[in-house]
Amino acid sequence: MQQWKQYFDQNIRSIIESRCLDCHNGEDADGGFDLARFPDGESAAAQSEIWETVGKKIRLNEMPPEGSPQLNDPEKGKFYAWLDSRPQTDLCSKLATDETQAWYRGVVMSRRLTRTEYLNAISDIVGLSVDPQFSIPSDGAGGEGFDTNGDSLFTSPIHVEQYLTVANQMVDRLLTDPRSPKHADDTPDRIDRAQERLFGQMVDVAGDSSMGTTWDQLQSLEDESLIPQLIQRFGWLAWRRPLQQQEQERLHELYKHGRQQGLEQLAALGLPLKATLVSPNFLFVVETETEKGGVQKLTPHQLATRMALLIWSSAPDEVLLQAADRGELETKEQVIAAARRMLKDPRSRALGENFGLQWLGLSNFLTTARPDGELYPEYDSSLAADLHEEAVRTVAAIFQEDRPTHDLIAADWVLVNRRLASHYGLEWPETIGTTTEADANPSWLTLPVEDSQRGGVVTLGATLVSTSYPRRTSPVLRGRWLLEELLGARVPPPPPGVPALEESEANHAATLRERLEVHRKNPECAACHNRMDPLGFGLENFDALGRWRTEDQGQAIDATGKLPSGDTFNGPEELKQIVLKRSADFDRHLTRKLLGFALGRSLNKFDDCVINDCMKALAENEHRGSVLIETIVTSYPFQHRYFKAEESNNE
Amino acid sequence: MNDSSTSQKNPMISRRRFLRGSRVLLGLPFLPSLAAARGAIKDPTPPVRSAFIYFPNGVWEKDWVPEQTGADYQLSASLQPLAPIKDKVLVLSGLDKKHSHGGDGHYAKTANFLTGMPVNKTTGKDVSSGGISIDQLIAQHHSGQTPIPSLELGTEPVISGIDSNVGYTRLYGSHISWQTPTRPMAKEINPRVVYERLFGRKLTGDRATNQSYQNLLDFVLEDARSVRRRLGRDDQFKMDEYLDSVRSVEKQIEFASQEPNQRWEPKVDPALIESMRPGTPHDFRQHIQVMLDLMVLAFQTDSTRVSTFMFANDVSGRNFSFLDGVQGGHHELSHHENNEQKIAQYQLINRWHVEIFTAMLQKMDAIKEDNGSLLDNSMVLFGSSFSDGNRHDPDNLPILLAGQGGGRLESGRHLAAEGQVPLCNLYLSMLRRSGIDLEQFGDSTGELAGL
Repeated sequence: MQQWKQYFDQNIRSIIESRCLDCHNGEDADGGFDLARFPDGESAAAQSEIWETVGKKIRLNEMPPEGSPQLNDPEKGKFYAWLDSRPQTDLCSKLATDETQAWYRGVVMSRRLTRTEYLNAISDIVGLSVDPQFSIPSDGAGGEGFDTNGDSLFTSPIHVEQYLTVANQMVDRLLTDPRSPKHADDTPDRIDRAQERLFGQMVDVAGDSSMGTTWDQLQSLEDESLIPQLIQRFGWLAWRRPLQQQEQERLHELYKHGRQQGLEQLAALGLPLKATLVSPNFLFVVETETEKGGVQKLTPHQLATRMALLIWSSAPDEVLLQAADRGELETKEQVIAAARRMLKDPRSRALGENFGLQWLGLSNFLTTARPDGELYPEYDSSLAADLHEEAVRTVAAIFQEDRPTHDLIAADWVLVNRRLASHYGLEWPETIGTTTEADANPSWLTLPVEDSQRGGVVTLGATLVSTSYPRRTSPVLRGRWLLEELLGARVPPPPPGVPALEESEANHAATLRERLEVHRKNPECAACHNRMDPLGFGLENFDALGRWRTEDQGQAIDATGKLPSGDTFNGPEELKQIVLKRSADFDRHLTRKLLGFALGRSLNKFDDCVINDCMKALAENEHRGSVLIETIVTSYPFQHRYFKAEESNNE
Repeated sequence: MNDSSTSQKNPMISRRRFLRGSRVLLGLPFLPSLAAARGAIKDPTPPVRSAFIYFPNGVWEKDWVPEQTGADYQLSASLQPLAPIKDKVLVLSGLDKKHSHGGDGHYAKTANFLTGMPVNKTTGKDVSSGGISIDQLIAQHHSGQTPIPSLELGTEPVISGIDSNVGYTRLYGSHISWQTPTRPMAKEINPRVVYERLFGRKLTGDRATNQSYQNLLDFVLEDARSVRRRLGRDDQFKMDEYLDSVRSVEKQIEFASQEPNQRWEPKVDPALIESMRPGTPHDFRQHIQVMLDLMVLAFQTDSTRVSTFMFANDVSGRNFSFLDGVQGGHHELSHHENNEQKIAQYQLINRWHVEIFTAMLQKMDAIKEDNGSLLDNSMVLFGSSFSDGNRHDPDNLPILLAGQGGGRLESGRHLAAEGQVPLCNLYLSMLRRSGIDLEQFGDSTGELAGL
């Protein structure tokens, strides 16, 4: 380490002073990146991870920006030599020891369920869908950019109001004669199945097990001895663990109270069931702490909950809870087996809908994407819904069908329905060579794309629409999206006081490409726009609705581009090949996002160990998506919690 | 009696103190005792209603700020729609939000629109708007006097994601109402749910349902207390939010279960209320319209006395091409780059917001109350959290204040504040006119001179 610091003092500092400090200096440093903080090897080594970022920028020729003095070859040589000789500290072996307690400090872990998780969980538990007229407030995001971040989940009175009315209605719909549903979405069959699933086993044992539905058997219960079991069963699902004796008794009190008020047995049973669904034991991820503090392994039930929230954005099902009950969620093999089963379950679609859309910045797509109705009259809510669905299915397929993660950059397939196929100009197969009747006419198909123009998340219709303005495409927004959301790069906002486009010149330039070229003559703009704009121009063949085009307002599309690295390309197919060269950046970013989503907090340097494990596992397993989930659910931070010891002094 | 203020205040204070010393504490307004407010139940005169209406992305100042000051001033181009109701509006200029001069262009400016205090730069941990917002302070003061303490309305879901480049969570751009510095109030965007809350008898209906809800809430309160004891300190703050929210809903139910008290009872035709039952809006213009109508109806029926409304979240890119002469999205055009064509379009969008606001004021003015109109008995603030959308400057804020606060405001003027006067001076004046006698609010240096 000493040597590394000395090398900085002797060789590196002067390079930084002459090539970087003009801009990256002090409080107003460009991009908020102040290199004057490192006057010597000592300070440089104290934050050694920063130099990885610096090195990447220099290697990609992104820094220093065009027009500024560049590093000459000997300088580059010295810089790279210094970077590559950085001594590694082995943090992973010190993961979450008592010395590294800062790990969880001040982070909320027992968080509220997000809106999505709440709605999924309640309909999975009750077995009926939640009436869409209810409006649970949406959640903001924090941490790594997800709504699962505990610190940024707040509870307002309108949450509680909605929780009450939803619980009330759901339980009333459940505890009803299936022959007379209380809600338009319910059918006798559906109600019967929900009742059977929840209570069938118990009433079969208790009742005379003669003919009759679960409802009939519930109706003919002769004594009330079964009530505590029904409460226990429902509570087990809702609170994701067996109820303690005292909890069960308190719930039973609610039932008895209802009976005293003159309610029928089943109406009175509704009261404790409603209470379980408004209780913090259902609404919050309850991970209690002990006075001792330190690092502790989660209980099997807590682990089951984390797994279900990650993979399904919902509560654990009976199979998972039973595994936790029996202590069969202990070994690595058991956890992986459980995760594999969950990925095969249709509920893992949530990885596309919840994780995927938040990662790609598309979760508000249906409410914020607004192509201009005059220019694009064909854009309507059903096309929007299809584009949304395409994005969900594409990301989910990586995990559900266990496809390689790099299919998210460039795939030779798209997942579309007939309408999107026609929107994209793809041929929809009229006859499909499947044998089963059900598959003969599916509404969504995986179609091969031969020319590779489409395929991957960059060319999803939803992405292309949301990175356009209402009346035109935006190469800048698209380039920025690609850098930030796909590669995890930072693109700082324009420095204050810099005019966005020099009008005098730019207004005379005919095309957007020419105007942006004028723009990039300004070195301050060039630093970022040289990175963003060319990438975006590579996607110009897609219009603001994501359709293929070869000309725009009479001008032929020019989809060529040159990146600061010197790479050139023409069109989306070649662009994606260039992005694939940076697939390691992509994998790391995707992993980081998924882990941040899973843990519900900002990542710290210890979590890099998990990210590195994931990268290794991907490399060893053909980059299959399921490997990421398996590595995360068996990782140390996913299975453990840091517990803060009770402090005697509160200040 | 005083449990809402203590339960909200203490955890918050200890957390802030724990996190960053006493600096933030200085900005905390004094929470008045509720006892004084409750004593004043028997008041035959209509109460003062307060609304705070936010629109995103600033304004083109040259077409906003009138040239002359005082009563004899000419409406500027963007304020032209106010003409029919000009004498009931106060145009304010020169107000400044000094704690928004740093930070990013949007999030550090919008979250504290109604607090005036520094927004903590964070992507999620220790979210803070620096202070309680003025609407929530008024709501706490009026607690127990109306069925619903306050209405927080909007039209868009919370912006998702974080902006890792500027280092802020985007939720800051979706919240102007803060129950405490660290607790944003969720806003309701679904008009049907707002209607149900106000008039639907869902929570406030028959006695048996109320009783059963109350039993449920009692049960879960006990649950929450027992869970809370076993949580770590950081997690306990979140359980406190839940506990306080449950108590707040309990209070609403209690209120509904009480015999009608002697508070001021407006006469509103039930047929009118029935006729206002909203459907599903099919575009954002209609959505805005419905939400504002519901706000007016809530005031008219004295269902609440405080409300906030966000036309859209900050950085909204809504397509305004439906306006003649506009082609493009709001945020995109607000970055006008001093290009005349873009400025003209930006100005038209500003003007459209004033039109909608004016229509609302006219409706309020048409509703007669004992001593004038609903508008006369209100203070309706309308504004944005920075001035020029291209520069994101938090000074010379575009602020209008309509109504006369029950005779406590002299409207029909352009009041130009001179020399970096805090927006919070206006808020302090409004608070005092709401009967809340504070020394200071946010970064106020005194009442707004000349009001």
